[in-house]
Amino acid sequence: MSVQPISKILSELRNIVGERGLITAANQLQTYECDGLTAFRVPPAAVVLPETTEQVQGVLRICHRERIPFVGRGSGTGLSGGALPSENSIVIGLSRMNRILNIDLPNHQITVQPGVINANVTAAVEPNGYFYAPDPSSQTVCSIGGNIAENAGGAHCLKYGFTVTHVLAMTVVLPDGQIVKLGGKTLDTPGYDLAGVFIGSEGTLGIATETTLRIMRKPEAVQVILAAFDSISAAAQSVSDVIASGQLPAAMEIMDRLSIEAAEISVHPNYPACDALLLIELDGPGVEVDLQMAIVIEICKQNGAWETRLAVDEHARFLVWKGRKAAFAAAGRLSPNYIVQDGVIPRTALPAVLEKLNAMAAAEQLRVTNVFHAGDGNLHPIVLYDRNHPGEEERAINLSLRILDVCVEAGGSITGEHGVGREKQCSMSYMYSDPDLATMQRVRRAFDPLNLANPEKIFPTPRLCGERPRGHYVPHPVEASGIAEVF
Amino acid sequence: MAPPVMMSRISEDLSAITGAEHVRITDEIVVTEPADANSVAEIIRYALQRRLSVGIRGGGTKLGWVRGETPQIYLSLSKLNRLLEHPWQDLTCTVQSGCQWEALQNALAGHGQFVALDPLFPERATVGGILATNDSGPMRQRYGSLRDLVIGMTLVLADGTIAKSGGKVVKNVAGYDLCKLMTGSYGTLAIITEATFRLHPVPQHARSFSITAKDANCLAPLVAAIRSSHLLTQSLQVRRKASECYLDVCLNAHPFAKQDEILSRLVRNHGLEMREVSEEVWKARESLFLGDATVTRIATLPVEVCQCVDNLHAMSAAVEIESVSQSIGLHDVALRGPRDEVVPLVQKLRTIAASSDFTVSVIQPGVVEGIAAYEISTPVLSLMQAVKRQFDPNNILNPGRLFACA
Repeated sequence: MSVQPISKILSELRNIVGERGLITAANQLQTYECDGLTAFRVPPAAVVLPETTEQVQGVLRICHRERIPFVGRGSGTGLSGGALPSENSIVIGLSRMNRILNIDLPNHQITVQPGVINANVTAAVEPNGYFYAPDPSSQTVCSIGGNIAENAGGAHCLKYGFTVTHVLAMTVVLPDGQIVKLGGKTLDTPGYDLAGVFIGSEGTLGIATETTLRIMRKPEAVQVILAAFDSISAAAQSVSDVIASGQLPAAMEIMDRLSIEAAEISVHPNYPACDALLLIELDGPGVEVDLQMAIVIEICKQNGAWETRLAVDEHARFLVWKGRKAAFAAAGRLSPNYIVQDGVIPRTALPAVLEKLNAMAAAEQLRVTNVFHAGDGNLHPIVLYDRNHPGEEERAINLSLRILDVCVEAGGSITGEHGVGREKQCSMSYMYSDPDLATMQRVRRAFDPLNLANPEKIFPTPRLCGERPRGHYVPHPVEASGIAEVF
Repeated sequence: MAPPVMMSRISEDLSAITGAEHVRITDEIVVTEPADANSVAEIIRYALQRRLSVGIRGGGTKLGWVRGETPQIYLSLSKLNRLLEHPWQDLTCTVQSGCQWEALQNALAGHGQFVALDPLFPERATVGGILATNDSGPMRQRYGSLRDLVIGMTLVLADGTIAKSGGKVVKNVAGYDLCKLMTGSYGTLAIITEATFRLHPVPQHARSFSITAKDANCLAPLVAAIRSSHLLTQSLQVRRKASECYLDVCLNAHPFAKQDEILSRLVRNHGLEMREVSEEVWKARESLFLGDATVTRIATLPVEVCQCVDNLHAMSAAVEIESVSQSIGLHDVALRGPRDEVVPLVQKLRTIAASSDFTVSVIQPGVVEGIAAYEISTPVLSLMQAVKRQFDPNNILNPGRLFACA
């Protein structure tokens, strides 16, 4: 790769995206030097803000010709550093491609550009009684393009599935500038399910510029219950019992005392003060929901819930969810800095893993608060720390990655919905063996033989993780952010 | 097909790898039935070294589908047939790919769970074969297709590498999801030796109903009404053969919700009658594949389903047409008649498809041997070929299936 190739192509980029679509001033580039994982920062060489598929194509052709790496970016809310620029890369910001192109209610489809905000998809079809199911906590700000890159989930994916379940067709610009259509508005398009592998590839296979999503009929009735417990284990047991009773709630969430308090301070959802709050949402025909709710309440009481509170109307439900979805941001009320992790474990391993996790936090003298999608075993431990205390950030990052090791050891995964990005690259070799990772690389080489699309993400590299599988080695953040290297 | 001398040589070599009891010669092709993934890997390494093509088979129910070249070795996974793990409280299971579908479901039923898919020929078809062909039945309306149900796989690649993808938890976005790539790839990229599924509770309150009409268009307003209603429809299909046309509905809601009454009112409001039927109607697809029928899979938009059914049936007087269409837009259509009538019909369908949004695949060739199963156009075809080259550069796995290698 040439040392500083960007300057000579700036006028070409300007011709494609216009003066307003090109950012090169250092102070403006700062906005793009990190995503939601702010511990990692690298300024890009330039940022382009295309408005059409053809403009994206034009930019990628130049990148391909000049061998310049590029990093796609939606709203920049990602929590794993997926949109962290590579050195000397061009960031392709898709926020201006924010139009809803077509709503097709009879076929339950909507076609959108990648910069459309997740919540706006539902807003566009809600008056007609439909909704878009994937609902990451950041749904009021995160974009569909980012959701595709990360295969975003959310509280309701327990019942409704992830982004990949709801994407029918995509227009994708490949790293060589070619435009392809993956999937289709009709099902089972002939050949390999390339859309299936593209979604969740964290921007390493190309850039989706147009997407047709599946929308769903809103359920006839929705009920949410809050159950207060004295221990996480009792709440977790209730989750297992609900599943064992043959029901599939729309969502099952657990919050611990610290995160309840934080949510209370920040958005006042009026949660009961307890050690573990279980939140269960049921939906379906009214009569059926009533019946199931009676069973759920009984299960909670049997497991020691001392308060069960039904959020009866839409406003009450809105508040309940607002509190839950504000949990990450509310951690800022507890501590100046924090890291959100995203490990997944088999549901049944929950009590044992939590015990281990608490012991690890205590040993490091760090506070960890827990919010999790209990229904599918997706933990979101939030490691609290203060960057101004020498060594604390390093200990916090270290602890958050060791939590992932525990998840892998329990038979789970290092990430359920936030993606690997830059943050968890080295944990990949703890979860997968070398042949597993090499197999994934075959896909990458087919799409991106020059390794230009969001390089240095997902896969462990010798530079970041050492030559051997990581074990317990964790990169220093300075090293991980590319500022320094280990030789 | 290999000449006899070579065949006995291959047979001897494979016997040395797996033991003679796992190798036989059937219909002039060497068939090997390894009992574990390591033997599968060894066989593949041997085949690669000798540049022998390998056909992968499970229960053999869909060997005629999307036919490729005749391979030099058949690798049967029928002895890899165990359910390895069923942690029922986690609602998952891990099973070897040679396990018959029905055997798997029977084992899971012990805890009231199942893989929420109703594929063809479950008493013979295997997990691996169903995955490779991405088969799905009427239940897809409610539960989605295999890509939504399979969460992990163990693969043997074309160079004998054993690799895993995904895992044992439902929610997992670590790395590329190769399970999706493998599902429906007809064994052209790798051999699936194990799969992990997410499970659902077996439906407790499923009831099936049928509505008769003179053609599918009479049913279209009712289908639209059901699709936009709050009914918990598990399956919704239109069957048509000559002038017999039916709409089948499976509801899965608690009896207290009285959804059968709601449906019944809806049906009457459309001037039609419904009656309760046995769940046998959901196996209607199977009869399409009998004999030498040419079976096409047509995908349309959901709102076009009824119109498409009637248009199909009006297309030829000389060909007997039987269709089973899922309301989500997937039609299985059997064409029975002389070759010189069926071939132009398929070509006509493809011409119409080329100028609209739908696709026509010939999954069981029947009398139209030689017509491409799939029409995949560039540039996406080039991308698929690039994927194939990365996974199987010497084109030894199921060569010629899906598409020719560039």
